[in-house]
Amino acid sequence: MTTNTRKINKNNRDNFISAFWKKNSGEIIPPILGILGFLAIWQFLSSTGLIKLAGPSTIWTDERTRELLLYPFYDAGGLDKGLFWQTMASLGRVAQGYSLAAIVGIAGGILVGLNPLLDKALDPIFQFLRMVAPLAWVPIALVALQQNQPAAIFVIFITSVWPILINTTEGVKQIPQDYLNVKRVLKLSNQKFFFKILFPSALPYIFTGLRIGIGLAWLAIIAAEIVMSGIVGIGFFIWDAYQQNYISEIILAVIYIGAVGLILDRAIAYIQKLIAPQS
Amino acid sequence: MSVFVAVDQIDKVFPLTGGGEYIALKGINLEIKKGEFISLIGHSGCGKSTLLNMIAGLDLPTEGIVTLEGQRIQEPGPDRMVIFQNYSLLPWLTVRQNIALAVDEVMSNASKAERKSVVEEHINLVGLSHAANKIPGQLSGGMKQRVAIARALAIRPKLLLLDEPFGALDALTRGNLQEQLMQICEQYQITSVMVTHDVDEAVLLSDKIVMLTNGPSSKIGGILEVDIPRPRKRMQVVNHPSYYSLRSEIIYFLNQQKRIKKIRAKKTATVARHGLEKVNLELGFVPLTACAPVAVAMEKGFFAKHGLDEVSLVRETSWRGIVDGIEGGYLDAAQMPAGMPTWLTAGGNQNRPLPTVTALTMTRNGNGITLAQKFYDQGVITAAQYKQKLLALDGEKHTLGMVHPSSMHNILLRYWLAAGGIDPDRDVELKTIPPAQMVADLKAKTIDGYCVGEPWNLRAAMEGHGFTVATDMEIWQGHPGKVLGVREDWANRYPNSHVALVKALLEAGRYCADTKNHQEIREILASRNYLATKEEYIQLGEPSNYSCNLDKHVEYAHHMFFGDGLNRPSRTEHLWMMTQMARWGHIPFPRNWVEILERVCRVGTFSTASRELELGDLKYRRSPIQLFDDVAFDAEDPIGYLNHLGIERNFTIAEVHLASPTFVAA
Repeated sequence: MTTNTRKINKNNRDNFISAFWKKNSGEIIPPILGILGFLAIWQFLSSTGLIKLAGPSTIWTDERTRELLLYPFYDAGGLDKGLFWQTMASLGRVAQGYSLAAIVGIAGGILVGLNPLLDKALDPIFQFLRMVAPLAWVPIALVALQQNQPAAIFVIFITSVWPILINTTEGVKQIPQDYLNVKRVLKLSNQKFFFKILFPSALPYIFTGLRIGIGLAWLAIIAAEIVMSGIVGIGFFIWDAYQQNYISEIILAVIYIGAVGLILDRAIAYIQKLIAPQS
Repeated sequence: MSVFVAVDQIDKVFPLTGGGEYIALKGINLEIKKGEFISLIGHSGCGKSTLLNMIAGLDLPTEGIVTLEGQRIQEPGPDRMVIFQNYSLLPWLTVRQNIALAVDEVMSNASKAERKSVVEEHINLVGLSHAANKIPGQLSGGMKQRVAIARALAIRPKLLLLDEPFGALDALTRGNLQEQLMQICEQYQITSVMVTHDVDEAVLLSDKIVMLTNGPSSKIGGILEVDIPRPRKRMQVVNHPSYYSLRSEIIYFLNQQKRIKKIRAKKTATVARHGLEKVNLELGFVPLTACAPVAVAMEKGFFAKHGLDEVSLVRETSWRGIVDGIEGGYLDAAQMPAGMPTWLTAGGNQNRPLPTVTALTMTRNGNGITLAQKFYDQGVITAAQYKQKLLALDGEKHTLGMVHPSSMHNILLRYWLAAGGIDPDRDVELKTIPPAQMVADLKAKTIDGYCVGEPWNLRAAMEGHGFTVATDMEIWQGHPGKVLGVREDWANRYPNSHVALVKALLEAGRYCADTKNHQEIREILASRNYLATKEEYIQLGEPSNYSCNLDKHVEYAHHMFFGDGLNRPSRTEHLWMMTQMARWGHIPFPRNWVEILERVCRVGTFSTASRELELGDLKYRRSPIQLFDDVAFDAEDPIGYLNHLGIERNFTIAEVHLASPTFVAA
């Protein structure tokens, strides 16, 4: 009896896997081939000496790097920490700076979007400031705040706040006239208008801003940490490795950065899907 | 019932980005009673939605005020709920939440349970209980609009405003929703204003249809009362006798608006040439055998011969089109029923005297009275017998068709009926129907018969739908049929063009009168540009072989196009027509009738034309007017004649004030 059920289960699972494979193989195989091809060419180029950069295999062949790869959670105190902790430290800063940016960006965006005069007054400033590169903010932040940690958070904030602010403003301005007519005809209270019409209507725009913002925030923290020496963080880790010529470590860290960036973007998209499914 | 909503002298002006301004609406006045359903209809951009928005308070008028129950409307409010074309549901809320949002806000005094029951009641009302928890994205267009209706009705508005509510729906859904809306409105006695493009929808739903003219400066072009009883069912409405006349009235209005727009767009510069003040003429006509001179002048080049080388003919389906064309100034001249110049001059058209002149009688005869075949089968072949029939079948409605109040058909039909003892207003109903539609109405048995120009009598006889009960011969041999009419100010501004026009048509008449040319003329008239009918229906000469299947031989009179005493406008004849139109109350009898006749009949223009054509020998001679009943008409004493006639309305005698004619210094 039991064997029977197991068999059926196994059969089912096999069926499921083969069905899944049949359906999705077209989606899975090309990216894998692409990645393998990319790595192969890279390896080939570095082994022939055409580029000075070490090949991807050095992640495994280099002993220091292999240790970093295998033990991401080790913590020897000070700056000597596994890559997981390095990444978490950076993410922690991003979380603080980005949360601040989201709060200020959304609130400010709604305020500016509802007030045409304010919009006209502030738009040129926003457009100007958002063009300033994250790295350019670093010296200003260091001078203003004197300490590495708050300066890093400020850089995250100032980089990611603009897309959130500008998109929210746009979202509020773009509320369809129909919905505004509904508000006017029903004489909805401001509170109801905000929660039932304004916020849901602007939500897709807000999420677009948030997604652009998180990408920029992650870019900014790496740049900021490279400049601010002596802190735990994946950015400074890269800088340190470069100073000591551990090229394969840089490669490994870059893989971490790319992966985290991708996960952050997907995470925001997933939240958007949960909160505002129709957009 | 008192006025519920009043729109008082509304203007709406929109500033343009270029710095100018666009006058959307001008001088709109509208009164809506409680419980009424009003439709606003008009072409795109005529400002009907703007008007609706101003009643809603979403938009404010530039001038004038809108009041609801005496209160001035200055902002939108839930007492005037709007149903928008695109539903305006909030896509992130379910059906129930969408309705509840409105109910909770508007009925904030009611308890939670009460509000909940109102929401559920209205979800059920529009039959959406199964979809109450769906969001709008999961609903079809029709269902969404039902949610919008439920939301609007749930807050018990005083006034329901609908902006093309069914415009985006397929025909089947639209039909169902119209019925539902109608039911709900009747049940709850809701006052509604609806903007629509759909003529049938307007007739089906409305008590009054407000027709707006094209912008800029749109105004109300007319208000139709829909007299179809409620509760209405679509199929019953379609079969109601008023349905088609209302429908065609609206369609006529909309088409007219479209044409006016086209004419406005067209550059209408006056082209002067060959010593004529204007050679580019728009000449209106109605397709009848009697339009032969117009068609011949065009096809055989008589217009061009007399220098009018840019004449274009405008085919109108009804005489009303001619009236509007002449009044609106987009027709220079037109073939008119003989009584029309007098009728227009004396203010027959909505009490607006419009001095109109005639210098040429184009045709005589060519008319007949047709009755449906069933009367023939019952042996009814005279007015007296028809009268007996009317008396016998008491209670049944009898309708006869005629083409225009000012046409000889109306005058002769009434005369013939009255002489037979039938009161043309009380015993029967006379209905204005475009000539080409007569046979169709006879076939559909909605009318007993009609009086109309050829070929429509002949055609009914040949197709076996009716028979000719009386022809020109039996009523008034040689009576005037169609005349050339132009506005008086036009005639004064373009005197030489007027003479040239008379010359061309007079020569065309001579051509028509020659029997050698008849076959050719029949071919011209049967073609698509003119009557677009079978050649055999068009008879200029001797149609006796078709003179229907009466035992007695019906003698058809020939059309008369040219000859001694035929073409010169006769004041006596116009006076007789004036007395007849006054007899039935179409116009007051003008106290200044001598002045009016002098101005209407341009004998001088005719004389100049005939002299220039070297037709000086064309004699002026008319025998005294005496119809089949042998009552003589004394042109010296028209009022005495009127008093002498048997059946008549209480005619009025009034001074018709005309602006003094303006002459342009040459």
